[in-house]
Amino acid sequence: MATASPKPARQLVMVFDLNKCLGCQSCSIACKTLWTDAPGMEAMWWNIVNTMPGEGTPRDVFSHGGGYRDGQPVPGVFPPLAQFGEAWDFDHEATFGSNGKAAFHPLQHDGTSPEWGPNWDEDMGGGVYPHSYFFYLQQICANCSKPACLEACPRTALYRREEDGIILIDEERCHGYRFCAEACPYKRIYFNSNRAIAQKCISCYPRLEAGVAPACVRQCPGRVRHVDYMENKEGHAYKLVHKWKVALPLRPDFGTEPNVFYVPPLAPYAFNEAGEFDETRSRIPEGYLEQMFGPGVEQALATIQAEREKSARGEPSELMDILIARDWNDLLGPFTENPADLDRQPRKG
Amino acid sequence: MTAKTAAKVTAQRVTASSKELLVPGSKAWKDVAETAVALSPTPLDAQPSAYVRASWADRPHGKTGTVNVSAVVADDALFIRLRWETADPRQSISDNNVYADACAVLFPADGKGAELATMGDEKRPVQAWHWRAGTALPFVVTATGLGTTERAKAHPVSVGAAWEGGSWSVAFRRDLGGKGVPLAAGASVPIGLAVWQGANNERAGIKSHTPDWLTLELPK
Repeated sequence: MATASPKPARQLVMVFDLNKCLGCQSCSIACKTLWTDAPGMEAMWWNIVNTMPGEGTPRDVFSHGGGYRDGQPVPGVFPPLAQFGEAWDFDHEATFGSNGKAAFHPLQHDGTSPEWGPNWDEDMGGGVYPHSYFFYLQQICANCSKPACLEACPRTALYRREEDGIILIDEERCHGYRFCAEACPYKRIYFNSNRAIAQKCISCYPRLEAGVAPACVRQCPGRVRHVDYMENKEGHAYKLVHKWKVALPLRPDFGTEPNVFYVPPLAPYAFNEAGEFDETRSRIPEGYLEQMFGPGVEQALATIQAEREKSARGEPSELMDILIARDWNDLLGPFTENPADLDRQPRKG
Repeated sequence: MTAKTAAKVTAQRVTASSKELLVPGSKAWKDVAETAVALSPTPLDAQPSAYVRASWADRPHGKTGTVNVSAVVADDALFIRLRWETADPRQSISDNNVYADACAVLFPADGKGAELATMGDEKRPVQAWHWRAGTALPFVVTATGLGTTERAKAHPVSVGAAWEGGSWSVAFRRDLGGKGVPLAAGASVPIGLAVWQGANNERAGIKSHTPDWLTLELPK
């Protein structure tokens, strides 16, 4: 049923600062080791980080339909696993016993060499040297306020939590139809081949319930990620999105109202033909960031630039304080519990 | 070939083992009468999700036009065999965008009556035996309306399936006295049928079905 799921009491929100991400993939690995290490989940990356410009994950990530246009659902496709990238096999025995004779070569399950993987085009970026440019784009489930996935499922296997707006797949109800995976315009839903059900990022809700920040947020060494409820007007998320207006949705034209926001990346100046800096132009071509983050991007970049300059002159800047996050705990909203301090049962088996 | 819409499927009493009858192409089925049943696509506007309606608006679904049904009672059990053409089979869910071939037999849960078009309702549920290629056991599901199917954790239905020469043959088995829909000797039980062509990405409500109940006549 296209359930009009009721508005949650509070909305969990995250903000990712694209000026700070190193593409280290600590977030991806944190999520992988915590959640997607069971059979059938080998190829899943609920959190991904891709170089932009780039194809993303799956390849040509934003070109597979889904989302909404003029309020109507847009048909989408769920690309085959090869487009996401299989979990490769490695013959460790052959290589490490071979005295350097056998190359450590990844293989797909059919024994062929891979032609794609998640993050295959890492650091390729865009532009031709010296006009090259790139940034890293992180994606998780954005717990959209108008969730195309939830509304696509004909058997209401997805639901939205009333307490925080997190969208979850009920693994008992899911029959693996994968309309949700087609409908998500960001292609953040995966298919578990063993269990024949759809699975995706769960916003680490069991951690949130224990007061612990999501793994991807807590593990990030770059202090890129902020998490809070949007209703907390003193929190980073509200201030970045609504007060300073520097945190923007990804592809707002998809119409799903995502609750993960991005601080767009400033870029060095472009070069002119004489090889000198052209201070009127960014090295990131005009229009590219607007296509990604919508019409607010120009003003957002101007704001960040102005506040940076204020800081450089020694003047106080709340925005810079928020983005720098000298106290790492300030990134975590109310979720400042250390999981190592929790009193919990050891995992069985 | 014109398939006639059959209102009735008569189950014959035969002497054969369950093992044999669960091989749908076996000799045990050779002389059993088959009835050709016309199928039609499920009505798209009845699909519960606006996304499903939008994404199937411009392409055909319910591509299977006919299913051949036969039924026998043997070994204290009811066997129902479905046979339909599938030129391009999907033997399992082998990729993100691959959908397995499937079929189902639907009954009113009380063996007497229920609303077919809505797959039952709260007062009169339906129960189905649902086979999907690539699974050894069928699902037994109960529904009280479109999109409400619940799979039983344990059930007494078994299945045998084979794809050969461009057609699937699937034989379901259930003890007559087994848990589920009452299947008494001499009873007339309404049944509905459904077939999904995996190659056409059919699943969920996107399928071919019998728009009206047939009647399965069980021998006395």
